[in-house]
Amino acid sequence: MDPLSDAPPTSAAPAMNRRGFLRSSAVFGVGAAALAASLKPLLELKDFSSMEKFLQKYYREMTPADMEKVLTRITNEVERQYGLRPEVRDLKPMDGVSFVYALNLTRCIGCRKCVHACVNENNQSRSPEIQYIRVLKMPHGSLDIEKSDHDYNPEKVPEKGFFYMPVQCQQCAKPPCVKVCPVHATWQEADGIVAIDYDWCIGCRYCMAACPYGARHFNFTKPLIPKDRLNPKMAYLGNRPRTMGVTEKCHFCIQRTRAGRYPACLEVCPAGARKFGNILDPDSEVSKILATKRVFIQLKEDLGTSPRFFYYFDV
Amino acid sequence: MNDNKQTRLVLVVLTATFAMLAVAFSLDLFGKFHPVREIPLVDRELLKTETWRRSYANLVSAKAELDDFDCYTCHEKGKKPVLKYDAKQQLIIPDEHSDIVMGHGTHGRNNNCFNCHDDENLEQLQPRDGRALKFEQSTMLCGSCHGPTYRDWEAGMHGRTSGYWNRTKEGMEQGKFDGPFKKQDCVNCHNPHSPKFPGRQPAPPPNYLREKHPDTDSSHTSH
Repeated sequence: MDPLSDAPPTSAAPAMNRRGFLRSSAVFGVGAAALAASLKPLLELKDFSSMEKFLQKYYREMTPADMEKVLTRITNEVERQYGLRPEVRDLKPMDGVSFVYALNLTRCIGCRKCVHACVNENNQSRSPEIQYIRVLKMPHGSLDIEKSDHDYNPEKVPEKGFFYMPVQCQQCAKPPCVKVCPVHATWQEADGIVAIDYDWCIGCRYCMAACPYGARHFNFTKPLIPKDRLNPKMAYLGNRPRTMGVTEKCHFCIQRTRAGRYPACLEVCPAGARKFGNILDPDSEVSKILATKRVFIQLKEDLGTSPRFFYYFDV
Repeated sequence: MNDNKQTRLVLVVLTATFAMLAVAFSLDLFGKFHPVREIPLVDRELLKTETWRRSYANLVSAKAELDDFDCYTCHEKGKKPVLKYDAKQQLIIPDEHSDIVMGHGTHGRNNNCFNCHDDENLEQLQPRDGRALKFEQSTMLCGSCHGPTYRDWEAGMHGRTSGYWNRTKEGMEQGKFDGPFKKQDCVNCHNPHSPKFPGRQPAPPPNYLREKHPDTDSSHTSH
């Protein structure tokens, strides 16, 4: 049994003959085809992030030139997806501006127009539905949020004996959501807005667990926005379309307010219950409201989150 | 020899598995993706920022019909209209004015037309201090009784605002962050004859909690 003398290749490698070669190449071909076919679902990942996005820097480390590139990428992506060329900007906080929101509980009639104006302005997913504002209905004389109802749908609002309390992101001065984010994808800006970098978010949803107001929402699927409802005026930290697997929330309409305009929910409120402005300006509506009205709560004040969102009463 | 057989067996099994997977994938045998039930889009009417009512000034600028404000097509000039009251001291509204529902003041106690209208000249308004105001100036008439509300309105604290929030001098100088700021008149939201807001249909409630799989829609009641 000396391997050198006994012509071992023929006996040890039967595949060398014609039949063996054909058989194994056929098997290999079928195997390769099957492998390719089994990887087919990967082809359906249409929105697979681009290499550019993957290598993108952290928002707060980007130079203006970097940001320019990113904005061009986002513009092109949105145009490819929605067939509409958006105007994507990166608006920075203004000097000497600190935003505050005030909501008059005496005036709110619970019509939910703010909810839908917000969805329309901020390009939220329509199906599954994501809404930043939740309007709670509570009986007069109580403030038990646990027993509140946000599914009310009577013929007419306001209903006798009830008041309505819209809740959205409170833009806390001590935001618990920022504290828990493991990748610093969310932080507080100089004007008080708690911003999210959707390209930096890893989708762990710790912030959703930390938020006592239920203000943060998660994109469990690819958000569905009809093309004709897309708002083309976008901001990087604001209403540019999100991808699957990131959290989002109210950002005081960053794309409007940092350009000087009122938020969308305020403009649509038919009762004038919503007030917004710069608390550092003593002549602004919010400064006067906080100085003269019965500002009754910051929601869940006892948690020490110190919201920028105030609820007040007339008289 | 034994090793070779085993290798071949593994290869055959693998190939068969892949082939079966290929068939399964191409026929979509695994849990077909059910698209979520389409949630109807909200009516665009709800997204409009227009006020509920239009003031006289709005009607003039929109060149709308102003017949309603042309009192002397029916009334006689120089003749004061006579108000009639029922036994409970409630104003009897004549048929010609049947579109007016009186509900101003608690228990309808503001029930004299000439508390606000000028009985000498019906195309004018007249607050209790005797000034003559045009229909465009109705907000000042409201303010003559509702002082605190008027004060709040002037500061932008009462009523609807729109446009730009920055009205400081620095904001003006910066220019790019400043723009028109608009306040609405009282009558843009309130009906002066019955100022309390009537009830209105609310926009649809949130859908996401009731999102159900199309197949399990009926079985939901059993649990």
